[in-house]
Amino acid sequence: MKKFILKFLIFFFLVCLSFFPIDYFISYHLKKSKCYLIGEYGVWNDIYSGSINADILIFGSSRARSHICSKILEDSLNRSVYNLGIEGQNFWLQYLRYKEYLKKNKCPKFIIISIDLWMLDKRTDLYNYQQFLPYMLFNKNIFDYTSSYDGFSFFEYFFPMVRYIGEREAISEAFKNIVYPSVDTLHREKGYYAKEMAWNDDFDKAKASLRYWESKPDSATVVLFNKFLLDCKEKNIGVVFVYTPEYIEGQKFTKNRADIISYFEDISKDEGLSFLDYSADEMSKDRNNFINVSHLTRSKTLVFSRKFVSDLKRHNEITGIDNSN
Amino acid sequence: MLFNSIDFAIFLPIVFILYWFVTYKSLKLQNLLIVISSFVFYGWWDWRFLILMILSASVDFFVGILLINQFNKKKRLLLLLCSIVANLGILAFFKYFNFFVDNFISVFSFFGVAFNPISLKIVLPVGISFYTFQALSYTIDVYRKKLEPTKSIVNFFAFLSFFPQLVAGPIERATNLLPQFYVKRTFDYSKAVDGMRQILWGLFKKIVIADSCSTYVNMIFDNSHQLSGSTLVIGAFLFAFQIYGDFSGYSDIAIGTARLFGFLIMRNFAFPYFSRDMAEFWRRWHISLSTWFRDYLYFPLGGSRGNSWMKVRNIIVIFVVSGFWHGANWTFIAWGALNALYFLPLLLMNKNRQNLEIVAHGKIFPTVKEIFNMSVTFGLTLLAWVFFRAKSISQALDYLSGIFSRSLFTYPEIRPRYVLILVIIFIVIEWIGRENQYGIQKTGLTWNRPFRLLFYYVLILFILYFAGEEKEFIYFQF
Repeated sequence: MKKFILKFLIFFFLVCLSFFPIDYFISYHLKKSKCYLIGEYGVWNDIYSGSINADILIFGSSRARSHICSKILEDSLNRSVYNLGIEGQNFWLQYLRYKEYLKKNKCPKFIIISIDLWMLDKRTDLYNYQQFLPYMLFNKNIFDYTSSYDGFSFFEYFFPMVRYIGEREAISEAFKNIVYPSVDTLHREKGYYAKEMAWNDDFDKAKASLRYWESKPDSATVVLFNKFLLDCKEKNIGVVFVYTPEYIEGQKFTKNRADIISYFEDISKDEGLSFLDYSADEMSKDRNNFINVSHLTRSKTLVFSRKFVSDLKRHNEITGIDNSN
Repeated sequence: MLFNSIDFAIFLPIVFILYWFVTYKSLKLQNLLIVISSFVFYGWWDWRFLILMILSASVDFFVGILLINQFNKKKRLLLLLCSIVANLGILAFFKYFNFFVDNFISVFSFFGVAFNPISLKIVLPVGISFYTFQALSYTIDVYRKKLEPTKSIVNFFAFLSFFPQLVAGPIERATNLLPQFYVKRTFDYSKAVDGMRQILWGLFKKIVIADSCSTYVNMIFDNSHQLSGSTLVIGAFLFAFQIYGDFSGYSDIAIGTARLFGFLIMRNFAFPYFSRDMAEFWRRWHISLSTWFRDYLYFPLGGSRGNSWMKVRNIIVIFVVSGFWHGANWTFIAWGALNALYFLPLLLMNKNRQNLEIVAHGKIFPTVKEIFNMSVTFGLTLLAWVFFRAKSISQALDYLSGIFSRSLFTYPEIRPRYVLILVIIFIVIEWIGRENQYGIQKTGLTWNRPFRLLFYYVLILFILYFAGEEKEFIYFQF
């Protein structure tokens, strides 16, 4: 009996030990993916390598990622800009990016927050959870901000390889990066990435299945958002809110849209922040500018970015950054 | 609790340690531990299922007790009937009620008589067909005086609810398993290692082979009406390996787990796809069920004695009943009937017992004739599996007509290359190990330890790579 248990434990131990190098190997190569998960790995790599150190950061969801071109802002403002927009996520995980960013990079001077109607809602599913795989082992921040989702179990954060069990797609992606490294072509330009596509039927499908949609802000996320604003104030980081263009017909679909927008307007007034709202902008009125209700086509995002940066200048927001730190 | 779940990976070592270290000195305590852990294992799905199982088991236990001192033949028969009615009644209600009601209504509406349909939302308790048959084997064997009934309710519940084989077999005979609860089990190192190896192989079959096949099988069967004949053949081929990997994988894990606790339970699969005729296939596929029907239905009906008509009748009865046992759907009945048709010529020509040994025994490669026979047998099972997997008879017939169409010779739309490679590797490993109890029983035993361990390690990596979503075993639904 003892012999059996001892041998089993030795075998088990050796198997577990071997998981460390395998885990490292998979993570190392998975991080190289550019196309997979709309290039989120590229952004995380830049964050963890501490190579961003931008003056201006853009936070938000895919609307931030695809609507605000970092390069246009950079050229116009003559300051370094990086877009940290994270696909499909609300503020809970946008804040995680902020925390991780500050661990490795210098504090920004200015933050642009791209507002979404569902930004303060709580998602239960961990959308695009694979983006955390290479970075999450023993990472307390990722554990703190993702463990409340229906995503990973405790063991996956603290035991090597457990999170890769059954992750065939991610493992295949890692191996693909070894065998065909040049196949990956998607490149997020300082975090920005947008697609040139025709209007799709997402909105029609939504209308067919739902009468309306309602945002349900989550109290914990609201507290976190306020904490973030306070933190920015303490760190002397300037903040601007922007509501990027949204197709006008789709705006009617959200039942409590006015309440959510006025909530952010109130905060901006209370905190003395600018809120640039493009909901009623000419761009929002033409369906041809959009892929779906919330996302502009790539060419229009470039037009919007130019417009946005000139508005920023007009509002004297960014130009007023203190250059001393 | 699924064998391929984290829950079971935690549950098993806990029960193992309690069994061999805490309750080791007392046989009664060990058996009680088995009962409690089996109840936890089973109740993990739904505790209400447990009540049903206890009810069913209690009837059989008390019938067994009453049979001890009952010498009156009529009263003995009455007691047996009580047990059969109670067990089959529960099974019939939970598994077949809606089927009978639906068909009853269909028949009457055909003759112009309309009924308001009564359809109950009945949840099928996991493994009900398995433990019902195991319980019946006990009462029938006691009735036949082949087995001394147990007076210990703990031993009886341990026998009936023994967690390794509770929900999907092998369907144990009371004459084999029950006496093992009467004697002290001693830990045997080599048996435990063998058990672990069999568990590993079972997990490989389930997670790597069956679950990989299932993705494509679902895709092909769900869209069968718009796919070419060549793709449909791939679908049927993969389903053959899905169901084999799934069910024999479960049996391997069950047998291996039982060995860890010092029990020897019966073999359920003996490389059925290497069979050279359908009779051999049925001696190698789901052995515990085939032999159950043989012992408790086929022999009482007269078996292969009597005239040809009797033989034909008996074979059709056991195959159709066996099909119906799998599920309340005409597809299973058709599957059983088709297998009966396959089997009958062999029986009538007295050729049903000509391939008793494993193919190419003592040789590396089979002969051309053996390859031909194996291919034909496999092809026939493949066609039958279409009925087993299809949602309805009409879907099965459409599927088969899709196979036998001109598109059979076109390039398939779905080409699951990596799954086919896996299946081929699997077939090779099974072929090498076909003279043993399971595929890898002797594989690598003559190798140096590092190579052997490396082989196991590679299997583990495969399992981890293909694991993920916990997919239920197909036979749980039966």
